Amino acid sequence: MHLTKRSALAALAAVMLSGTAMANTITVYTAYEEDEAAAFLEAAKTSLPDINVNLLRLSTGDLAARIIAEKANPQHDVLWGFAVTSMVNPEILEGLEAYQPVGLDQVPERFRDADGKWFAVTGYMAALCVNNERLQARGMTMPTSWADLTDPSFKGEVVMPNPASSGTGYIQINSLLQMMGEEKGWEFLDKLDQNVAQYIKSGSRPCNAASAGEYTVGASFALRAVKNIEEGYPITLVVPSEGAGNELEANALVAASKNKDAAKRFLDWTLSAEAANVYYDWKAIVTVPGGKMPERFTSAGLPDDVSQVLFPVDFKAAADDRSRIIQKWQEKYER
Amino acid sequence: MSVTTASGSRPAAHLPGRASDRSITLALSILAAIPILLFLLLPLTGILLRGFQTPAGFGLGNFIQTFGADRFWRLVGNSISMSLTSTLIAVGLAYFYAYALQRASIPLKPFLRIAVLTPLFAPSLVQAQGLILLLGRNGALNRFLGFDIDIYGFWGTTIANALYAFPYAYLILSAALAVADARIYESAETLGAGPARIFRDVTLPATRFGLAAAIFVVFTLVMTDFGNPMVIGGDFSVLATEVYNQVIGQAQFGLGAVIGIVLLVPAVLAKLIEKRISARQHALVTAQSKPLEVKPSRGRDIAFSVYAYVIVALILSVLAIVVLASFVRLWPYNMSFTLRHYQFDVQNGTAPLWNSVGVSLATAILGVAITGLTAIVVHKFRNPLTGPLSMLAILPAAVPGMVLGLGYVLTFNDPANPLNILYGSFALIVILSVYYNHAHAFLISSTSLKQIGPVFDEASTTLGGSTLTTLRKVTLPLLWPTLLGVGVFYFMRTMVSLSAVIFLVTPSTQLAAVSVLQLSDRGALNQAAAFSVCIMAIVVACLLIVRTILWLAGAKNVTLIR
Repeated sequence: MHLTKRSALAALAAVMLSGTAMANTITVYTAYEEDEAAAFLEAAKTSLPDINVNLLRLSTGDLAARIIAEKANPQHDVLWGFAVTSMVNPEILEGLEAYQPVGLDQVPERFRDADGKWFAVTGYMAALCVNNERLQARGMTMPTSWADLTDPSFKGEVVMPNPASSGTGYIQINSLLQMMGEEKGWEFLDKLDQNVAQYIKSGSRPCNAASAGEYTVGASFALRAVKNIEEGYPITLVVPSEGAGNELEANALVAASKNKDAAKRFLDWTLSAEAANVYYDWKAIVTVPGGKMPERFTSAGLPDDVSQVLFPVDFKAAADDRSRIIQKWQEKYER
Repeated sequence: MSVTTASGSRPAAHLPGRASDRSITLALSILAAIPILLFLLLPLTGILLRGFQTPAGFGLGNFIQTFGADRFWRLVGNSISMSLTSTLIAVGLAYFYAYALQRASIPLKPFLRIAVLTPLFAPSLVQAQGLILLLGRNGALNRFLGFDIDIYGFWGTTIANALYAFPYAYLILSAALAVADARIYESAETLGAGPARIFRDVTLPATRFGLAAAIFVVFTLVMTDFGNPMVIGGDFSVLATEVYNQVIGQAQFGLGAVIGIVLLVPAVLAKLIEKRISARQHALVTAQSKPLEVKPSRGRDIAFSVYAYVIVALILSVLAIVVLASFVRLWPYNMSFTLRHYQFDVQNGTAPLWNSVGVSLATAILGVAITGLTAIVVHKFRNPLTGPLSMLAILPAAVPGMVLGLGYVLTFNDPANPLNILYGSFALIVILSVYYNHAHAFLISSTSLKQIGPVFDEASTTLGGSTLTTLRKVTLPLLWPTLLGVGVFYFMRTMVSLSAVIFLVTPSTQLAAVSVLQLSDRGALNQAAAFSVCIMAIVVACLLIVRTILWLAGAKNVTLIR
């Protein structure tokens, strides 16, 4: 009798415990690259030992499509490290709930939503990957700017992402248009188009193509170049001197979350000092003060202070202009 | 005739013994129809109706916008010309490959059967990477052999797609050529017909249905695939990449759905002309049939051996270069041997590999049951359900995986749907995999069934056998080698398919193909290739195990793939 009673109690306790564990389980959707997400998650687990984080990682486009398809019954509590130009899509934005996490004032105002629905702690920036072997073999000079790529010697040697299928592609042309003004900007893109061999339908593939020696210059983003240099590919990372286009990766609370306390604690964590430290290890752009840029970034060619080379993008305009610019781009350049 | 009158009100009087039979066939037809309605038509309708949703409300705005753009018609032209060329290449080459394996004596047939299927179980990354490593501007041919090939564009896409679709065509054509009645060939020879004449007047007409099915499968497959044009198409855009641009690139479901609907057109057209083709297809195995035995013919055998081995060499070289690169420090810059790419540091490590094996096995079993039943219902029973059923059975061929996957999310994530409990489980991934590959599996089964003459059914019925007895004693024994092949097909495809399941995976249901994507997304292409090599090794190992089990069970002469 005694024994059964005790085991019944134990079973009850187990149920209760698993009940509490369930209450502290959150599902987080992220578009951070898999290795980044794994490193961040490990740090989060150390700081939040009682929260069980189920992490689903998909690329920005796949994730956006999934969130929109799941809109009727969202499966996630937190959206983490997700491109702002996709976040502001009305079909995604309407599913978010305003939240002021602890420490939000560290984030400069231009990196957060006026309505408080999202805030960006990290971001990525455009960069060129230049294949050294191919550059030498063809006797070309190392480009330092977008303007250099319009030189006739680069004809057929430049690959760029297609902005209709790649967010990276969009921030590249959008930053040029914002920088030069639309009229001059399109004129410049006309000239650049003369030298572009392909508009590849992905943001990282142009750098991979340059790394593999398929083309000399691949317009991509900085971290792809850093990682490919670490793999050993003979490429140089070039931050275009006009200023690098960039995109924010924002965090947000999902309105339909059934576990908002844990979700909010997770979001608070994304602004903590522990989080900032690990962000600095992996990201070129971190909007909060904290650690410093690791050596592997600077040795790959990134400046110590990236804020000096970033173009100050108007993110709201970038999002608002998106379909108009892509449509015009397709009319002009899609072959 | 309505469904109820067919089963109930027709008296059994003038057809003694048939009434219960008719209700059995009807019950089986309904059994086949229910899952296809729930798991194919429902999700497909869910996503494609988005085509009619505009900011202004329900209407044709998206269609008007799409059809009014010159760009759209250019993409239609690109898609059709590329798909036709690919189809011509893939079906043409596969016909003679299947012919070589079924109608000639060539050495090492089991190897040739498996080798030709590698594009089915190589993750799409392998195909794309292999072609670029081989034929890219800095690829092996250009870099080491001094060629000057530029693969990107129309021809790159066409060749990559032909390669990708080749095994699909082969599986159908092989089923078509596997069965033949030796007597017809003997009489043709007696009448003095030469080999060319026999081929034209006997072999070709006898495989008409298979040929039509293969053309349909390859055409729709190539038309809806966006992987190859994404990687190797360069600036060459097609309708499938436009679906990708709209849905994934810009989150415009409405405009993507419009093109999804346009892509269904070939399937509907195929259905309309199918009747004409099958009307002229005669059964190849009748009661008096003698199985065709391959007679030795030196010249023919040598020619077909050379042909088959050249094809296999081409297919395997794309694969081999990726396997090779996965053991090299940094292709093509540092060619020293290393195993470092096999130290996987991806989330969950190799656990997703075993998830995939489980999901693929379940898909194979469920898939054989569902497709087998559907094919039998469509071809052996006649009732008002069979027409719509056969249309639905081939429809998935024309649906891009992304569209079906998102349709599943829209339908099964809806809390109002009682099947919502399946959402987030492996079970739904299995079901999705069955319907994603349904058309091809169905057509492989159909090709075999078409060739079994009605005489058997009639004889069995005359002898008092019920429909079920005929099914069990006649149809299934003749069909089972094909069904085994269908199971293998499902297994292989499910191990690597990505475009549909990517929308259903959750943190606790990770699959191998997703790991490959994660690795390649983060730039670890060599590790992704190494992971792909492991997937392929597992598929081959599974095939060998099944083969051994069959052999131990006494089925020594059965091949896993016809």
